[in-house]
Parts: sequence; C-alpha cells; structure tokens
Amino acid sequence: MAEVTVYTTPTCPWCQKLKTFLNDQGIPFNEVNVAEDPEQAREMMSKTGQRGVPVTTIGDQVVVGYDPEGIKELIQ
Amino acid sequence: MGNNPYDLIIVGAGPAGMTAAVYAGRKGLKTLVISKDTGGQVNWTTLVENYMGFEQIQGPELIERFNRQMQEGEDLTYKEDEVDRLEVKEDLESPKVFTVNGRNTGLHHGRSVIIATGKRPRMLGVPGETEFRGKGVSYCSTCDAPFFREASVAVAGGGNSGVQAVLDLLAVNAKKVELVTDQDLTADQVLIDRILEDKRVEIHRHHHIEEIIGDRMVQGLKVVNRHGETKDLPVEGLFIEIGLEPNTEFLDILEKNERREVIVDCQCRTNIEGVFAAGDVTIIPEKQIIIAAGEGAKAAIRAWEYLMKKRFGAE
Repeated sequence: MAEVTVYTTPTCPWCQKLKTFLNDQGIPFNEVNVAEDPEQAREMMSKTGQRGVPVTTIGDQVVVGYDPEGIKELIQ
Repeated sequence: MGNNPYDLIIVGAGPAGMTAAVYAGRKGLKTLVISKDTGGQVNWTTLVENYMGFEQIQGPELIERFNRQMQEGEDLTYKEDEVDRLEVKEDLESPKVFTVNGRNTGLHHGRSVIIATGKRPRMLGVPGETEFRGKGVSYCSTCDAPFFREASVAVAGGGNSGVQAVLDLLAVNAKKVELVTDQDLTADQVLIDRILEDKRVEIHRHHHIEEIIGDRMVQGLKVVNRHGETKDLPVEGLFIEIGLEPNTEFLDILEKNERREVIVDCQCRTNIEGVFAAGDVTIIPEKQIIIAAGEGAKAAIRAWEYLMKKRFGAE
C-alpha cells in the first residue's frame, strides 16, 4: 500500500476527525504537524498546492480536506 | 404509497438529530437518519468546554461519542446523503406519509419528520472564493492560521468570529492583518480592544470585498467602500467569518423567519402537522450544542406522541 501522510495543525478539528477515520479503518499513516515547522508547511504547499489542512497524500496522490470516500477509493 | 414507511425520518445528524434518534429508538420508533455527515458545526469546533459532563473535549471526539450511542439504537437506519426535497403526501392513511428525497439514495417515506439540518458557514459569493478555497481562502482560522506566519492576510467579518480570527493570526506572528467589514465592528468590546492595540491590524469599516485575486494561490483582494472607491489589498490569504446560514433551501413547505430559520413552537412543531424541527436550524436563538441536544430530545418525544395519537387516539 502506498505511504499515507496527513498534514495537520494541532487546533484543526477536521484533522482530528480524519485521523480518527484512518485509525478506525486500520490505515497506517504519518502525521506532519505544519504548525510546528514552517519548513514542512512550505513543503506541503509546494507539493500539494494547498494552504489549508487537512491534506492527505497517498503516494503521489493528494486528497484535500476531510474526504473519507476519496481516501478509501485511492487506498483501494 | 411507500411500502412500510419509517415511523420517523430525521434529516440531519448533528447534536439535535443524533439525540432525537436516540430518544426515538428508546420509544421503539423505526427511524431513518439521513444526513450529509455526522456532527455538523461541531466538526468545526476545536474544543468544547460547555457540554455538561465533559469539562473539555475536542469537537470531533464529542461527535464520535454521540454517533456511537446513536448507532446502538435498535431499528435505526443511517444513510449518508443530502436531502433536497420534503413533501407531504396526503392520502387516506392516518398518520399521513411524508417523502424526503436523498440526492444519491432516492425517495424515503416516513410518518413523521424531524428537521435538524443546522447551519453552514456563510460564503461571500465573490469571484475567486471557490477557486482559491484551500489556496489562501479559509473558513477555519483555528485550522489554517499557522500557514500565515509572517504573511499579510485578511479577515472578512467584524463580529466575534472575525475578530477572533484576527487574534489567531496575530498569535502566529502574521506580518499584517487587514480586517474588512461591511459595517462597523460588532464584536464584544473586550475583543475589539485587543486588536485595536496591535499595530499590525488595519480595519476597513464599511468596505465590501469585490474579488479575490491570485495565480496559483491568493495574492490580493479588491475592496470597495460605500462611496464606490476601490482599493487593492495585497494579501496571501483571506479568512471568511461572516456568520452562518440555515440549511433550509429545500424546505419550501415550512414557514421560516426573515433569517430563513424554521419557525417552531415550544413543542418543536412547525406549521405542518407531523413535521418537527430542532437545533440551530430553528428560530430558537441560543445556538449551543447542549440546547440542540435538548431540542432534539423534545422533538423525538413530540413525534412519538403525535404518532400515538394518530394511531390510537381521538383526532
């Protein structure tokens, strides 16, 4: 399965909901806290073209926002 | 006419809808809950500190607990879908049957309905707003403020939410914050005082945002004052905090107030017998999770009493 990375900020409730969804589905993921590290925030913006969280990358694919159906489709 | 209609259809699964579902289940009602998502506005809430029994809990976590309790209900069906129509089918049966249409799941029939569709963030409705969503345009400062460290950014909205967004941006060391409001500031004075004392904040009263401009991401705003004079604000982001709209576009048959909220009495009854409403979508002025939950419980009890009277009692 392609590597799943979720970009989050600590006070983002949608990010919380997304992580709960991934845990409930048993999908392992890395979490990158872009609030902590401006360099990671810049990297996220250039990689995904987004300036808002949550953003999920599955391999090279990008899912914007809280989109459980979109993520399920790409995982399968 | 709809074989085996549900006893109750609940449209919306925020705190009002989910509480109604639990109460309906405990009354033995065959219930359909149909909703775009579970949680509604609570999903936008980082921390809830005023729901009794939970001193401090994250919004999504509270919703997950509501959801688990709802899903334990017997004879409950949950469908994730958006309802775009509600109709009454008058016929010889009593109680009469209602029909809701889900965009993806089609028609569903029920003997009573609770509308609990809540509210959504209001949009500006200007060019660039949709195109740049997530690329500088945001409706959640607690989510996205960290992206604007050392940047120039704007906030639309002079109420408490707008001023709070300004404070969130100052806290992450934004370089400049332009607050644009079409009236004057209406936030609590204690919040206004905090932004007035920060030199990084510029307030544009009586200004409208005409357009959001940019390339791959937001690069600026065009604003206009009440004399028609325009100016450009070079900003990398815009947080839109201009209030909430009730999700009532599909409810032609229900009476609403000037804010398009559903009119209810203290028993959650609407102008249509057998249709009830609960939570932020109604005219009840206090928009709080605990009140929505309470109204949801009331509506479910009323729906059960309505069904019992129609089936067994005089009327």
